[in-house]
Amino acid sequence: MKGHQINYLVSEAFNTLGRHKAVTFLSVVIMSLTLLVLAVFLLATDNVLTFLDRARREMTVFVYLRDDVPRGVLDGEYQRLLKMGEVETVVFISKEQAMAEFREELGDERSILEVLETNPLPASFRVTLRNEYRKKEAIERFAGAMRASPTVEEVSYGKEFIEQFSTVSRGFLYVDLVLGIIVILSSVFIISNTVRLTILSRQKSIEVLKLVGATNRFITMPFMIEGAFQAGVASLVSLGLLFGIYALTRGLLPDLAFLKPGKITLYVITCVLLGSIGSLASLRRHLKL
Amino acid sequence: MDVLEPRKVIGIYHVSKKYDDRVVLRDVNLQVGNGEFVFLVGPSGAGKSTLLRMIYMEETPNEGQVVVGSFVSTSLKRRQIPHLRRKIGIVFQDFKLLEDRSVFENVAITMRVAGTPNAEIKKRVMQVLTQVGLYHKRYDRPVTLSGGEQQRVAIARAVVNTPEILLADEPTGNLDPEVTKDIIQLLFRINSAGTAVLMATHNHELVRNYAQRIVFLRDGTIEEDLRLGLAAFTKDRLGLSEQPVTRPLGASGERGETH
Repeated sequence: MKGHQINYLVSEAFNTLGRHKAVTFLSVVIMSLTLLVLAVFLLATDNVLTFLDRARREMTVFVYLRDDVPRGVLDGEYQRLLKMGEVETVVFISKEQAMAEFREELGDERSILEVLETNPLPASFRVTLRNEYRKKEAIERFAGAMRASPTVEEVSYGKEFIEQFSTVSRGFLYVDLVLGIIVILSSVFIISNTVRLTILSRQKSIEVLKLVGATNRFITMPFMIEGAFQAGVASLVSLGLLFGIYALTRGLLPDLAFLKPGKITLYVITCVLLGSIGSLASLRRHLKL
Repeated sequence: MDVLEPRKVIGIYHVSKKYDDRVVLRDVNLQVGNGEFVFLVGPSGAGKSTLLRMIYMEETPNEGQVVVGSFVSTSLKRRQIPHLRRKIGIVFQDFKLLEDRSVFENVAITMRVAGTPNAEIKKRVMQVLTQVGLYHKRYDRPVTLSGGEQQRVAIARAVVNTPEILLADEPTGNLDPEVTKDIIQLLFRINSAGTAVLMATHNHELVRNYAQRIVFLRDGTIEEDLRLGLAAFTKDRLGLSEQPVTRPLGASGERGETH
């Protein structure tokens, strides 16, 4: 296709949008509401994923140490942990620090500690693992390896929590994926049906174009540009509506975060693509192009 | 036959078409020569429009084949159809104009789909609009024009790419007798410039006075192929011509006519 033909088709697409203002407006409204469902889904998914990621980050393995281990051996253990591939951070908590923290946690109840003659709390390493090792199997493997060390008294990592967390997050990802596919397919379906209104109103023009020797690309290109433009505008409208919903629910869900600029850009691009794919799908279905 | 005989632009060979059980065309043979003018006459439902649709390959035959230039119906790919149509101009009874575009744009669209540069489009469209007498209405919308004017816009659109063939399907069906005469004269002028014209009409009266070739179609079959038209036929019957002008199709073993 030649450059001047592309220029013509682009200007043709925008002239058509201008000529059929009412249909264009109606299409944008329908698309905005459809895309709002997608935007809400995206916001929910994004927040749940952030929450899961944060929870995963907070997963700490507590390695409690025997009281009789000399300080020099502990230093060696500390260095060994740091060098392990799966370890991200290691913090050493001495017996005294552990007691201080405990005292802090007890608050007003701290007087109960006065009966203690010695400090019963063990020193420990608080280990966080690298992201890719924050899974049930990897944590279990790491804990097993630590338990085998003669300096270690006990290893604790909230086994039940991690098991539940793994099941819940895997379940969420499956459900989210299926829902995502349904929402996207519904959007394409609704958009292609909305575009059908435009196509039916211009069936005669399309027939004429075919009779004078227009290729399918020549016929479909303005529709795809129009679909992309309408969906682009609709995506911005839906983002505005989403922000309205977000602002209204902020009181109820204070931790809810709005989409970041990168995700907004990705969302708008996806909508633009959905618009042009929806148009093409509709043209193929109704005109046997 | 995959190649047309010399100096022919359309070849229809043993073409049959049916929709479900209804036979629309039955073993039709017709050839149209380069620069020839042919009236295709027959009552409604005779199969005229179907035959024209076969030529611009909107329909494909169930049997036989249609050859237009280098395009052969039996081996044609869908993506070749636009290229075939750029070599054919088509005019319809209902004009099929784009109501939301100006007269200029309605004519220019034929050149735009072919990828002609803008400057050339402007020059050629102005030229053709002048030829059909509508240069002064180039910015008007079709809806503001009379029926005859709309048909002239449709004809301008059909010939702007100087096609080898012009197909006209009942082009005067919606027009009064005076305008009909004008349109036919316009088609003759286009034909005299070298374009082969195949005009379908149900109106026997209309073709009575012209000496062009007339092909009669009835119930999907070609009944008669008069190569010198009814005017000559009448003269022949009056003893004014020594030439035999009628020849039932197939009687002589010929398909189509010379000219």
